[in-house]
Amino acid sequence: MASASVTLSLCSSLATHSRICTKQHPSPTFSLSNNTYLNSLSFSSHKLSLSSSSSRAFPLLSKSSDSDAAVLESEPGPTEVEAEQIIQISPEQVPKREEVFAVVMIGSRQYIVFPGRFIYTQRLKGANVNDKIILNKVLLIGTRTTTYIGKPVVTNAAVHAVVEEQGLNPKVVVFKYKKKKNYRRNIGHRQPNTRIRITGITGYQDYPAVTLDS
Amino acid sequence: MNKDKIFKLAKGFRGRAKNCIRIARERVEKALQYSYRDRRNKKRDMRSLWIQRINAGTRQHGVSYGNFMHGLLKENIQLNRKVLSELSMHEPYSFKALVDISSNAFPGNKNVVFPPKKEGISIVV
Repeated sequence: MASASVTLSLCSSLATHSRICTKQHPSPTFSLSNNTYLNSLSFSSHKLSLSSSSSRAFPLLSKSSDSDAAVLESEPGPTEVEAEQIIQISPEQVPKREEVFAVVMIGSRQYIVFPGRFIYTQRLKGANVNDKIILNKVLLIGTRTTTYIGKPVVTNAAVHAVVEEQGLNPKVVVFKYKKKKNYRRNIGHRQPNTRIRITGITGYQDYPAVTLDS
Repeated sequence: MNKDKIFKLAKGFRGRAKNCIRIARERVEKALQYSYRDRRNKKRDMRSLWIQRINAGTRQHGVSYGNFMHGLLKENIQLNRKVLSELSMHEPYSFKALVDISSNAFPGNKNVVFPPKKEGISIVV
């Protein structure tokens, strides 16, 4: 129970994105299939229900917490009461949104993106703040029921994003030293980056989907 | 670097390395060399960590890491190891689909690896 309460309170601190993760739990499909999946491993069911809930909540937490902490000011002292309120509100406010993610390639790096969140990429040259960009190289799209696996890309699929900020990574001290040669170099470096917010994932419906047979 | 910066960087060091400038400077310089080196080593460390995670994920479905990657290569699926490891942890159904595709593309990997038997655990717990 301790872990469950911790996840709840953490969820409540992330105001908007907690709705996504809290929404998952009441869905019957997830809980059923989770149970079957875990029973096949033949652990005890009680322990697994705990661990499964935390594992479902943790990816959303970890991805949102490192990315959203900068923008959303966490509420001081989130309690379980607030979390329960969010749970009650969430089905009404976000009734239709599908849980969908995509793996998109940006400059030879691959990112798992969710609509509504932001990611830091390497600097996109020539992009200005508030530019809308379309990322075409989508390698995989997952929805609640199906997965679209690109070979190597999901054709016609696109991830829409907005450039939010052209910034710099934290400073890195580049200290070079060679012994006995009186050689020292102390250089600071800040790698330029770009923060983009994912607005939507479209165009994947026509691609042949993969659904699990079992 | 001047003294103040050295002492600032030497915070939390052990013994005299945090108080005496001569020793602190030595240790800070060595630490910065380590951090330069380990920024490079981090890349291989992470890659090996991802491979271990993928291997753990695929073996639950009875496929070894090498055969799984070979099947993906045959199917021309170009997901990298970072993404695959995250999928194996957080998106078990998408990962299962990938394993199925991989094992269909390279049927030789079937019946090679058996998932670890964990029957004893349920009895103990």
